[in-house]
Amino acid sequence: MEVKVEGGGEFSNAGYKKICQTIFRDTGLQSNIDSVYMYCNAAEHMFILSVKISRVSNPVKVGDMTVIGGADVIKVTNETYVPRLLTMLWDDYGDRVEQLSRLEIKVKLDSIEEMHKLMNRIVYDPREDLNIRILDGMDRVLPEGARVRYSVPFKGSVTIIASENPIKDEWKEKAKAILSSMNKGEA
Amino acid sequence: MYKIMMFTGGVYKFNELKELVVDIGGFILQEMVMQTETMLHMAFPAEEERTIRAKVKDVGGKIKELPLAGAEIMIVVPSLGKHHAVDPMCDIAEFLRRNGAITNMMGLARGVGKRIAQITTEEKAIIEECDAAVFVFGDFKECIEEKAKLCESLEVPYIIVGGPPDIDIPHYVGSIGRRTERLRRKYEIDELQKVADALGAALEERRREIDEDPLASSPLFIKEMLDQELPPKAGEEFSTIIQLNGLRVKVEPGDEEKLKNIEIGNRKLSEICDIKESAYDGYMVRIHTEAVTGSVY
Repeated sequence: MEVKVEGGGEFSNAGYKKICQTIFRDTGLQSNIDSVYMYCNAAEHMFILSVKISRVSNPVKVGDMTVIGGADVIKVTNETYVPRLLTMLWDDYGDRVEQLSRLEIKVKLDSIEEMHKLMNRIVYDPREDLNIRILDGMDRVLPEGARVRYSVPFKGSVTIIASENPIKDEWKEKAKAILSSMNKGEA
Repeated sequence: MYKIMMFTGGVYKFNELKELVVDIGGFILQEMVMQTETMLHMAFPAEEERTIRAKVKDVGGKIKELPLAGAEIMIVVPSLGKHHAVDPMCDIAEFLRRNGAITNMMGLARGVGKRIAQITTEEKAIIEECDAAVFVFGDFKECIEEKAKLCESLEVPYIIVGGPPDIDIPHYVGSIGRRTERLRRKYEIDELQKVADALGAALEERRREIDEDPLASSPLFIKEMLDQELPPKAGEEFSTIIQLNGLRVKVEPGDEEKLKNIEIGNRKLSEICDIKESAYDGYMVRIHTEAVTGSVY
């Protein structure tokens, strides 16, 4: 993920570059974002934050995070999505699901085919809430006082103009110019 | 003038140290014994420092000066949202506590932004109940310059903390801007030390002013009397907070009269202090100067 911050002075640019990096890392978006560009004009209190989305991770299937550990038992190999897995199993199989231990889940199934079918079920698709997570990350980056927001639509990227004042047309033009240069790979 | 220091060491002759502090006219402010480890905040007459140091050498512990001890500091941030808390707000507060201060943290109701940033009269009154304030204003020079105007009317010493290293506004300490990670590296600790030093200097000036026109009684002595009359409940910490020219006292409902009638020398507490309910917590006890009350002993 490439981050570029301009317009805010040497210290502020460096500070916000670090803030962008840590916030998008903490929200788990680092691998989903190609580049981030931020323009700060604190004198007019105008901030433009543009995020170019890169590839989205593949959906996580039951087989990606568990292995079959005996008759009707699956063993968890990656705990990250276990709450989602358990919710899905309880919804679909109800009383037939029993969590034997932290990493062992028993699901009473009728046949081995049904077990293989289960292993191909999708537990979590990162595409589902990608926009929400990106917007949450952008909200954390943008200064809190800049509550007047305007989004500039563009395929494959999210751009927000934020200010405490009404958004001016010239700022919208500026945001569009940033977007086009980002897509040409200049920004 | 009292000097406040922190002792850390073992239990060996720990009681002898405590007795010595009391014998030379000092006070035990805080004491903690954790199995074989001990920690003691003590205040004693500044001229007795050599006696205390000799005893500490004998006991085999360490002694450290607490430059901000005896002061209640308010850390003020534009809001309590995720943009300002927990870093750097809590990092600054923790560092000041390690230097002996009692800290409170406050998020302004409408402190965010540049043009729209405000401070209410009530918030100002709460800040002025403390000995000093630290304002944490973020990364942008223009915003810090604008927000600095909010602090100008404050009647207590204050420090403004911000990102850009050099801004030409009074009481400014730079290099601590908006952070999303804990300040734990060496250079970051040095920056926190600059904040503590600037605050220490501001408080020292206030202490000198108080020395020139001394108080009717030391807040430390009043705390001692208070703790005898209204002992803190088991497990309760900081029921009485010492300030430079007074105390913040948290009393049970119904105990207000007892508080007013506590005897300090040959006077009642209400005769030598202004006692009023705090806008924030407990009661504020502001001690009059000796010039106003005359001698109380």
